[in-house]
Amino acid sequence: MNPQPIDRYAETLARETRDSVSASAAITTEKRVDILARDFPDPDGLRRLAGQIKQHTLEHLDDYLAKAVRALRDNGVVVHFAADAEEARKLILGLLSERGVRRVVKSKSMATEEIHLNDHLAAHGIDCVETDLGEFIVQIDGDTPSHIVRPIIHKNRREIARSFEAHGLGDYDDDPETITRRARIHLRSKYMESDAGITGGNFISAESGRVVLVTNEGNARFSMAPNRLHLALIGIEKIVPRDRDLAVFLNLLARSATAQQLTVYTQFINGPRASTQPSGPEEMHVVLLDNGRSRVLATDCREILRCIRCGACQNVCPVYRQASGHAYRAVYGGPVGAVLSPLLAGERFSDLADLPKASTLCGACREVCPVDIPIPDLLLRLRARAKEEGVRTPASIPMAPFATLATSPALWRTAMTASRAMNHLPTAALPVKPLREWLKLRTLPEWRGGEFRKWMKKRKQS
Amino acid sequence: MDSATDKPAGRKVLFMATCLCDAFFAETAKAAVEVLEHAGCEVLFPEDQTCCGQPAFNAGDFASSRKVARHTWRVFSGELPVIVPSGSCTAMCGHGNALQFEGEADLGEARDFGKRTWELCDYLVNGLGIKTWSGRYEARVALHHSCHTRGSGTGAAMKQLLSGIAGLELREFGQPEQCCGFGGTFSVTFPHISGEMGKVKLEQVLTSSPDLIVSADGSCLMHLGGLAARGGRPVRVANVAEILRDALLPAPAPAR
Amino acid sequence: MSDTEASLFAALRETVSGLAGRTPLPDYDETILLASGRLGSGSEWESFAANFEAASGRPMETTADLATFLKEGGHLRGYCDPLLREKVGSVLQTAGLEVSYEYDRERYDDFAFGITRASGVVAETGTVVLNDHETSDRLAALTPWVHVAVLSEEAPVHRTLSDAIRAFGDCPNVIWVTGPSKTADVEGILIEGVHGPGEQICLRL
Ligand code: SF4
Repeated sequence: MNPQPIDRYAETLARETRDSVSASAAITTEKRVDILARDFPDPDGLRRLAGQIKQHTLEHLDDYLAKAVRALRDNGVVVHFAADAEEARKLILGLLSERGVRRVVKSKSMATEEIHLNDHLAAHGIDCVETDLGEFIVQIDGDTPSHIVRPIIHKNRREIARSFEAHGLGDYDDDPETITRRARIHLRSKYMESDAGITGGNFISAESGRVVLVTNEGNARFSMAPNRLHLALIGIEKIVPRDRDLAVFLNLLARSATAQQLTVYTQFINGPRASTQPSGPEEMHVVLLDNGRSRVLATDCREILRCIRCGACQNVCPVYRQASGHAYRAVYGGPVGAVLSPLLAGERFSDLADLPKASTLCGACREVCPVDIPIPDLLLRLRARAKEEGVRTPASIPMAPFATLATSPALWRTAMTASRAMNHLPTAALPVKPLREWLKLRTLPEWRGGEFRKWMKKRKQS
Repeated sequence: MDSATDKPAGRKVLFMATCLCDAFFAETAKAAVEVLEHAGCEVLFPEDQTCCGQPAFNAGDFASSRKVARHTWRVFSGELPVIVPSGSCTAMCGHGNALQFEGEADLGEARDFGKRTWELCDYLVNGLGIKTWSGRYEARVALHHSCHTRGSGTGAAMKQLLSGIAGLELREFGQPEQCCGFGGTFSVTFPHISGEMGKVKLEQVLTSSPDLIVSADGSCLMHLGGLAARGGRPVRVANVAEILRDALLPAPAPAR
Repeated sequence: MSDTEASLFAALRETVSGLAGRTPLPDYDETILLASGRLGSGSEWESFAANFEAASGRPMETTADLATFLKEGGHLRGYCDPLLREKVGSVLQTAGLEVSYEYDRERYDDFAFGITRASGVVAETGTVVLNDHETSDRLAALTPWVHVAVLSEEAPVHRTLSDAIRAFGDCPNVIWVTGPSKTADVEGILIEGVHGPGEQICLRL
């Protein structure tokens, strides 16, 4: 049996990394439960409501997207569409080059990760600096984020201090406060000297065209204060119908992501700066990104498009806690990634078809998801799709023989009894490889096939 | 998950032993039958039963799994409630079948069968209306809520029944929502992660210094018990059905 | 309309029109969103103050308190919105602080404090509402270590988030600020003052 890549990754992951990912994911999970229970009489009802609003929006996405685009344009925003990563990169590069932009500050955005924007801009001579502390560290390390909300959940302070030292950000000092202050000083000049700010977007209200952006650090706000151009790359699924619905999602997002009541900076942006405002963009562009989303909408896994990128499913997932985010070989890791990444991969579905198998289907993700996405069901549908398309994933056990046995009662009964012989075989001689795998770590109870049936028969007779 | 309210209940029941009990946990199946009889049920055991089809379902081989599922509901045909000493197999017959029969001509049959299928404790409390369980069982019990009982009546029912037993003390432990790492074939296809998950779970469970670990699913127990034994820290495990039965035994229950 | 836009809409229309039984937009009562435990029995300002403090913000009620805080913290030079000169700026100057009424972005590091107007607060969440009309300069509310949002008597104290959303009106660029800038990126340890202010004050006149 070929080893599963995710299992192998987990096996080779440094224990220290595994333990810190695991511990901080567990703490956030616990705090999330506490704050939801403390604040709301029926948190599950809220999750279902949020899920329904999003599902409704997705199932009417043509209308809502059109509405949002109209509202954005009325607000003075220039709206663009990008079908895929390449078109998005080209569009953004074009917008920046036309305006002679050389220096860009960027606020954390999963969509820009998805299209690998930084490398592309760098290759064309545009300096694009990540400003979210975690993303900044990822960038100087040439690494990738391993968690949606906590990009460096896989790094400890010593590693960070070492890379700060290597990048001329002061002598080795692993005090988190010192690290933060050094980044502050370094990044301020980057903001002030920037020509443009690039952000993502958490929500767009179709009603008003307001683009909602949340951060704790204030970097999104700072990315659109000193410069003249704001560019937001936003997935087409980020629409919500009305302004009032934003309260539902904002209440759930911060609590689910970081167990906060609200993120520190919640911005509602409708267009360039006001005429009376001296600082801030004169031009605002929104690039609406498809990149596979409309294709996902056409599948029986469309619920995943409800996702508001809170990371709660990653935190609660026991597999994620063991494997960390990079194991998933894609921008999105953990349960959400195991569903979304193979779907977004399009033609390359088979490359990532093993991800949906990395789950015991325990359902913990479903219980925490603020938009009530039935993640385990989607994992199963993707497994079925792989099977139907004949995609072979490592470590799959053929099930046809099992089905034959389980539909032939006489044969089944015989096999039950006959297998008792296994009790007397040494481990190495066991006929089935999976069984040997099992026994490496665990003992197995005695095989007692047929015993219950016999007992039952006897009782009937007596 | 199906709510318990629209499910048929009665004193004549069909018993689904599950393939795991058939192969390994004869004791659990026997106990479940005795518990049901104690509750006044007449228990019928259709001989041609095999497995609910979950292994193929989890592997994404819905075609194979549907074959097994169809066999199963034919074996259990009729109107009688089907009682299962496993939360996982119950969920398979309900939610699992509903999912894999989407778009199939016999989705209706799948649904009907799911509606008749109950996990044992859920049935005792929510089907038969039993409020407390009597008897005595001297033990500190760590109750593991198996993942596939999430959202069903089983968890609360188990707790309710066990709480009534004299001498039995339920012990709390951290992160109860976490999976034991078994996951069926997952335990052999992801051997490392499965084992580590199990160790984490075991660690948590053992903080409550239990005399035994109890669950509605023998599979979780087999995993946890097997890991503990291999790890040199053997711990007793028992399906909830066995506790319910043993509590009724006249002789003094197993000592601490 | 670009080709991409047109073909995307065509694809979306085709997909959604083929869906059987589409989910309706649920109706809901906003009270289910209310974290009622966060609204104390006192006034809405008191609730705001308690929640703002819980988020490490500093509610203040007198300019004298502000002067003391700035002096004790060594925040001796700063910027003040000229419209607040009389009520806030001059009081601080009298107290010996150096106040400039012009934000010079070349000297952004020289401003230890920045004083701008708030357009309201939210009681339920302890949030200060800023917007482009009232904020004299976005940078002045961002670059200084201490940001003071001044709430006038007439400014609204919204009870809930939903109320604050309803009050958007046609206001451009609304920002809700709930405490100082913070991060927990390094090992989950909370550090305040990442890019924006390390001290967030709300001064109610
Ligand atoms: S799938 Fe749900 S829980 Fe996971 S990140 Fe998305 S919204 Fe959060």
